[in-house]
Amino acid sequence: MKQRYVLRVNGRGMEAAAEAHESLLDVLRENLRLTGSKKGCNEAECGSCTVLLDGRPVVSCLVLVPDAADRDVVTIEALATDGVPHPIQRQMVEQGGVQCGYCTPGMIMSAYALLLDNPDPTDDEIRFAISGNICRCTGYGKIVKAVRAAAVEMKGQAGNGGAAS
Amino acid sequence: MSEDPSTETAEETRGAYSWIGKNVTKPDALEKALGATEYVGDMVVPGMLHGKILWADTPHAVIKRIDTEEAARVPGVHAVLTAADVPGSNRFGLAVLDQCALAEERVRSVGDAVALVAAEDEEAAEEAVAKIRVHKEHLRPILTYADALDPDAPKIHDGGNVFQHTTVRKGDLDKGIRESAAIVENAYHTHRMDHVPMEPEAGLAYVDPSGVLNILVGTQYPYRDRRQIAPALGLPMNKVRVIQAPIGGGFGRKDDITAEIHVGLLALKTRRPVRLVYTREESLVANTKRHPMAMNFRTGAGADGRLTFLDGDIYGDTGAGVSLGAYVIKKAGIHATGPYDVPNIRVDTYTLYTNNLTSGAMRGFGVMQAAVAHESQMDQLAHKLGMSPLEFRLKNCLKPGLASSTGQLMNEGCGIEATLRRIKDYMSARDLRFKRPEAAS
Amino acid sequence: MAIRRGLGIGSMYYGIGYGFSRADIGSAEIEMAEDGTTTVYSGACDMGQGVMTVVTQVAAEELGIEPEQIRVVAADTGSTPDAGPTSGSRATFVQGVAVQNAAAELREQILDMASRMLECPKENLVVRHGQVCEIESGREMVSVGKVAHQLHFHGRRAAAWGWHDNTTADVDPETSQGDAYATYGWATQLAEVEVDTETGRVRLTKLVSATDAGKAINPVAVEGQIEGGATMGLGYGLYEQHILEGGIPRTNSLAFYLVPTAMDVPDIECEIVEVPDPRGPFGAKGVAEPATIPTTPAILNAIYDAIGIRITETPITPERVFFAIQEARDRGEFEED
Repeated sequence: MKQRYVLRVNGRGMEAAAEAHESLLDVLRENLRLTGSKKGCNEAECGSCTVLLDGRPVVSCLVLVPDAADRDVVTIEALATDGVPHPIQRQMVEQGGVQCGYCTPGMIMSAYALLLDNPDPTDDEIRFAISGNICRCTGYGKIVKAVRAAAVEMKGQAGNGGAAS
Repeated sequence: MSEDPSTETAEETRGAYSWIGKNVTKPDALEKALGATEYVGDMVVPGMLHGKILWADTPHAVIKRIDTEEAARVPGVHAVLTAADVPGSNRFGLAVLDQCALAEERVRSVGDAVALVAAEDEEAAEEAVAKIRVHKEHLRPILTYADALDPDAPKIHDGGNVFQHTTVRKGDLDKGIRESAAIVENAYHTHRMDHVPMEPEAGLAYVDPSGVLNILVGTQYPYRDRRQIAPALGLPMNKVRVIQAPIGGGFGRKDDITAEIHVGLLALKTRRPVRLVYTREESLVANTKRHPMAMNFRTGAGADGRLTFLDGDIYGDTGAGVSLGAYVIKKAGIHATGPYDVPNIRVDTYTLYTNNLTSGAMRGFGVMQAAVAHESQMDQLAHKLGMSPLEFRLKNCLKPGLASSTGQLMNEGCGIEATLRRIKDYMSARDLRFKRPEAAS
Repeated sequence: MAIRRGLGIGSMYYGIGYGFSRADIGSAEIEMAEDGTTTVYSGACDMGQGVMTVVTQVAAEELGIEPEQIRVVAADTGSTPDAGPTSGSRATFVQGVAVQNAAAELREQILDMASRMLECPKENLVVRHGQVCEIESGREMVSVGKVAHQLHFHGRRAAAWGWHDNTTADVDPETSQGDAYATYGWATQLAEVEVDTETGRVRLTKLVSATDAGKAINPVAVEGQIEGGATMGLGYGLYEQHILEGGIPRTNSLAFYLVPTAMDVPDIECEIVEVPDPRGPFGAKGVAEPATIPTTPAILNAIYDAIGIRITETPITPERVFFAIQEARDRGEFEED
């Protein structure tokens, strides 16, 4: 039986008709056509579907849609503002953290969640924060570097009174 | 500063170039970071159906009958197809055409596809797949190297289970053995590996108004896909267009046919666009893997620390289809010496059919396995001779003017010595030392 | 905890491209529009590693225009020529030359037309940063766009085709003697491991990868291949195993098939070595597979350095190391702390 769920995705109220056993990932991808969150395993092992739920990173393939109702969902599509990429996105490009790109949105969301929580992480903290996100191309080093560079950039922006995200 | 003669030249030339040697940003990276790139699984086109595959659940069997009527009655199902519905040869394969797009009278591995469904949504397709009944008679599976080498074992393909035997012969092996002060002999076993591209295999196909079958697929080679798809589906090649979609990793896996023929067949039969996306489980079970190999190596060196001979056998399990296995295992044989000057060589390789999953191309292509053996041998010889593993390699590595295992003369591009010296410099700059040679000397 | 450290190296060579008489080709078309912007129709698939970027840089270098002026259309039987597969570490090595050839021919067309337009001998002209310049004075005479406009206007091409056949004959069927590959990649890696002698667990704590790129056309992309390759090599050595029992997969989920995470991979130090290859574009060689192959051997040798035990089977699981230590103990051969 499909039911209507009200979701707050990227700051906007959205309605989706779905079965109670459907995942947030499927509803984002199929109903709302937000395909930036990828389906790499559908069993919470790869992290490609990572989104923020009330500010915390979750693998959206493991969140049932009723459990996401009336909570804040943030997806990769919301990170750039007015066409300007988020510092993590730009640094991922500049530092060579992007290859095939399939893990990239989930990776960026995990890093984004980390930096919301901890604006000045160590490399070990970065590695821990993205350890649920499998990347098969880069070996992670350039991703860690990108997150570090983004943290520095965001701190600079915050210090200058600019928007951090 | 460095002994590497290449460094200076490279630095000199770099200055002269405008763009070579510069970190130009990848044109595709930003859209990927924005989440805007559409991989096949992200694509939706009007009227699109969803494809699903019924895989064999047994490694070796004769198919007696397939019942599809119940599956076809599932609401929303547009097609349930078996080998009998394939308009073309139904065959594919990169070295020989030994794989069926849909299994005919035989199942040769659990990675064989048996039937296809296209339906309005994935749920209906899954339901229909679950309702297909395959009546099988099980056969003894060939699963080990010994099984495959047994001439009395059941044949997986008509030509027998040893698909290929290659030989590397150079110099005089007996002479090499006589001149050896140290000989090391070992058996090495390497395992099956999956590529795990983060994007599971996927394809989207449609027949356009001019009658051309268009296939979007995360592939490593659209032209060879076309060469394989057209005859398998009974189409002229100019009626097939293959477009590389953004690809979420391949590593050799997507060098081979993945979803192309299946999704093309479904689009041809339904005259609707069809998208077929593997689950991770399907990706782990189907398509090619890295070859497991068994390698017996005997290697010698003289008292002067120079390699004298290599005597080796390599057995590769290519599974139910050769794919590129014949080249993978032949390449392993040629590279069995490693990057060293070995005057006397006997290496035999065997490419073996089994009822395991088909192995094919994967990053490293046979040399990954051979290097496990030759590099282990190198260290053991160095230890026996009381030499540092690095100095032993430097002494034996190929250089311009020396010949490889195939007698190929190395030119000025031969870089092994430069890489060894770079590591040597790295270690001396940080005073890093191996523990073992000191113990031996 | 009984942790022992060891260092090991692994070296390799790897035939770039195909050998065995297999078609090993590249081809590309390049077209300049009337505003000087240029499209390369390149059949080579980009996997994200950067073939399109390499194609762009090679074309920009050879043509004398800016990379920003170049767009690459890739890998579509309906619009690009056949450039062979992206595999065998061959895309840069083979397709790079094809693109270089195409770009060089287009440059000659531009210089021919510019020579007529400027009434100046072709030998005195060169293309730099999108401008046809007089060699001696360095003076910018006319933009490539204006020249391309003239070519189009007169029904000339402003487009060129480039190809490269890297196919090598098969080796002798009895002896495997012959020139097997057009060229080879070369690499040596140094691994440092920690072995826990109580559990058998091995951790890679340091990896230095000296990989010969011939000429690194895009150093960050080369590092990406080196780091990613070593990580796949690490997975092969320590974690990943596709297990079949009776032909049936037991590792049908990423919960059982273990791929290295960011916590498993140490900082990988890239030492890009450049020994130019006479046949590669600007001396470049392929690096994707050379960067992957030495890791597992280096780990195996480092384990021996650490505990004096030779592991001959992969993957090097904790169980395998644990039992190897027990067996060495039983034989009285294990060096106790």
